[in-house]
Amino acid sequence: MSLSKEQKAALYRNLVRADQYNRMMYRRMMQGKLIGFYHPAEGAIAPGVAACTFLNQDDNLSPHHRGHGIIHMMSKGIDIKYYLAEHTGKDTGCCQGRSAFHFSFPEHKVYMMSGFIGYNFAPAVGWGLAAKRRGQGQVVMNCSGDGSYGQGRAHEAMLMAQNWKLPIIFFCENNGMSIFSTAGEMHPTPDIASMALAYDMPSVICDGQDVFDVAEAVLPAIERARRGEGPTFVEAKTLRFNEHDIGTPDLAGWEERGEQEHQEMRKREPVALATERVLAEGVFTQEQIDGLNEEAEKEIAAVEEFADNSDIARPPESELLADVFAP
Amino acid sequence: MRTITLIDAIKEAYQEELRRDDSVFLVGQDLRGAIFPHTKGLVEEFGTERILDTPIAESGMYGAAFGAAQEGMRPVVDFMFGGFSYVTFSECSVTTGQYYFLHGSQQSLPIVITAGVGTGQRLANDHAMSIHGTFAHHPGIKVAMPSTPYDAKGMFKAAIRDDNPVVIPWHMGIMMLKGEIPDEDYVVPLGVADVKREGDDVTVLANSMQLQHALKVAEKLEGEISVEVIDPRSFVPFDIDTVLQSLEKTNRLVVVDEDWESGGFAATVSARIMEQGFDLLDAPVTRVTLPNMPVPGGYMEEYVAPNPEKIEAAIRAVCA
Ligand SMILES: Cc1ncc(C[n+]2csc(CCOP(=O)(O)OP(=O)(O)O)c2C)c(N)n1
Ligand SMILES: [Mg+2]
Repeated sequence: MSLSKEQKAALYRNLVRADQYNRMMYRRMMQGKLIGFYHPAEGAIAPGVAACTFLNQDDNLSPHHRGHGIIHMMSKGIDIKYYLAEHTGKDTGCCQGRSAFHFSFPEHKVYMMSGFIGYNFAPAVGWGLAAKRRGQGQVVMNCSGDGSYGQGRAHEAMLMAQNWKLPIIFFCENNGMSIFSTAGEMHPTPDIASMALAYDMPSVICDGQDVFDVAEAVLPAIERARRGEGPTFVEAKTLRFNEHDIGTPDLAGWEERGEQEHQEMRKREPVALATERVLAEGVFTQEQIDGLNEEAEKEIAAVEEFADNSDIARPPESELLADVFAP
Repeated sequence: MRTITLIDAIKEAYQEELRRDDSVFLVGQDLRGAIFPHTKGLVEEFGTERILDTPIAESGMYGAAFGAAQEGMRPVVDFMFGGFSYVTFSECSVTTGQYYFLHGSQQSLPIVITAGVGTGQRLANDHAMSIHGTFAHHPGIKVAMPSTPYDAKGMFKAAIRDDNPVVIPWHMGIMMLKGEIPDEDYVVPLGVADVKREGDDVTVLANSMQLQHALKVAEKLEGEISVEVIDPRSFVPFDIDTVLQSLEKTNRLVVVDEDWESGGFAATVSARIMEQGFDLLDAPVTRVTLPNMPVPGGYMEEYVAPNPEKIEAAIRAVCA
C-alpha cells in the first residue's frame, strides 16, 4: 500500500516527538530525576510510532517496554505528563505515584505495564476476545521485543488468537538483543516472524528504521483485523543504539559491542532517514521541520514542568491499605 | 581472613563449587555478561555449557534444570529478580516440593534456586517482592537467605552441596555489604540460626537487609534497652531452639520479616513460639513486616517496608 501525504506527516511528527521524549527520559535518568530505571529507545523509535499513530482510542494497546511505552502511548494520543509524574513519584501520576515505572490508562485501553517480560501475550487474547464479541472493529496492538517471544505464553497466545481468529497484531520489535543476549543466539531462525508459520498466521517483515515502511506493513494488518479476518504477525527489524538500561554495560554475550557496530547502527538513525524522505517528497519543508521540533520541545517542557511542580506522593500507610481492594 | 562484598562472596561460592564438582552448573538469563556482578567472569573459566544463558523462558529454563537434576546434575537456577520465579510457579514450587515425597522418597532433587530480592530500589512490587515466605509455604523445599558475606559464601556452598531443593535468594539492598571471610573452604549449614548480637531485654529475629537494620537499632538503643539480635539464616528448616534459648533470657520477641504480614514467616514463627514458648513470654510476640499491600514503588517504599524506625518502635512497644 502507499501512504498518503497526511499519513506521512502524522508519522513524521510523532517520530520527532518520540525522539525528543526518549532523549528527555535519558537525560532525566542521568540527572537523577527519574525513579528506578530507564530502558532507552534510541534507534528503535520508528516501530512504535508506526504501529500506534493510526490506532483509535478504543483500540487496545500493549506498549513495548523499551522506552517504557512512551513512544507507543504518545503516538496513540495519550498525554504523557501523568506518566512522567508517576515515574518521578508524584501524586499527580497516573497511578498515584505508587508504581514507579508501571502505567495504566484504562480509558485509552492501555491497561498496564508489568515488570514481567511476556506479560502482554495472554491478556491480549482476552482483549481480542472482547473486541470480537463487541463486533465494532476494534483491534489489539500487542507490541513487544524479540526476547519476549522466548516466553511460552507467546506460543499460547498465538495459538488461541489464530484458533479464534482474533483481531490481534503480534507486533514484534526485533532489535536483535535481549539484555546481553543476541537474537542470533537465542532464536534458531533469522526471523521471529517464522513462528507465525506454525499457526498459519499471515506475517510480514519490515524495516524498523524506516517509519514509513513499518506503517505500510502494519496498516494492512490493522485493516485485516478490523474486518474480522484474524491476527497478523508483523516483525520490525530495528536496532538498540544504547545499552539495555542506563548504567548496564553494553555487551553482546559477554564482550563489549564494538565501536564498529555502533557506527554501522548509527547510519540507520530513524529520524535522519525519515527527514531525508519527507524533504525529498515535499511532505515538509526544513522550516516546517524546525517548527515541529520546536513544538515538541515546548510540549515536553510542559510535561516536565507538570511533573516537577507536582508534590511527592507520600500518603500515610493507612490510606494505602484502604486502597488495596475496590469498595 | 579477607574482606569482600556479599555479592563477591556468592561468586566465590560459585567458583569453588563449580571447580569442585563437575555436575554443578549455572542456568539463567544474561549470566555470562553478568547482569549482577556475582556471575562476572565465570563463563571465561567454566565455558558456555556450565554458565548457561537461556531465552526469556523461565518455565523452560527452570524445567530444564529440574530435568537435569533428575539426571544427576546439580543446577543453580538464577531468576535475576525473585518475582520472575513465579513465571514458572507450578514447576518450581509445587512439582519441586512434592517430587521426593510423593514419589516414594526415591530420588531427591539437588536444585538451587536463587535471585535478587527486596525493597530499596523503588521499582515496585514485581521487582521488589520477597519470595522466601512463598517457597517456605511449600513443604519439601529448603529456604534460606544470607545476611553477611561470611554467611553468603558458606550458605551458598551448603545449598549447592545439599541433595534437596534449596531456595536461597539474596537481598539487593546489601549486595555491596562488606565482611570478613576465611581463606579456607567452609560451609554454613542450613537450618542453624546465628546470634549476631547478644542482649538481655528483648530478642529481635531478623534476616538479610532487615538484620542490618536491626543491628543498627540495637546499637542505637545500647544503654537503654539491651537487644539480642538473632539471624534465622534458614527459614526451612527453622532453628527454633536458638530462639527459645534466647527467650529464656529476654522473654520478649520481635520478628522482623521483609515479607507480607499475612501467611508469612513471621506469622509462622509467632505461632510456633506461642505453641512451644508461651510460658517464656512476658509480652505478645510483635511483628514488623510488609503491610498487606502490593509493595509500592516510588517514595512510598521506604516508609511502607520494614525499616529502622519501625523496628525501634516495635522494640519499645514490646518492652513497655
Ligand atoms: C519474566 C522476565 N524475565 C526476565 C526479565 C528481565 N528482562 C527485562 S528486559 C529483558 C530483555 C527483553 O528483550 P526484548 O523483549 O527483546 O526487548 P528489548 O529489551 O530488546 O527491547 C529481560 C530479559 C523480565 N523483566 N521479566
Ligand atoms: Mg530485543
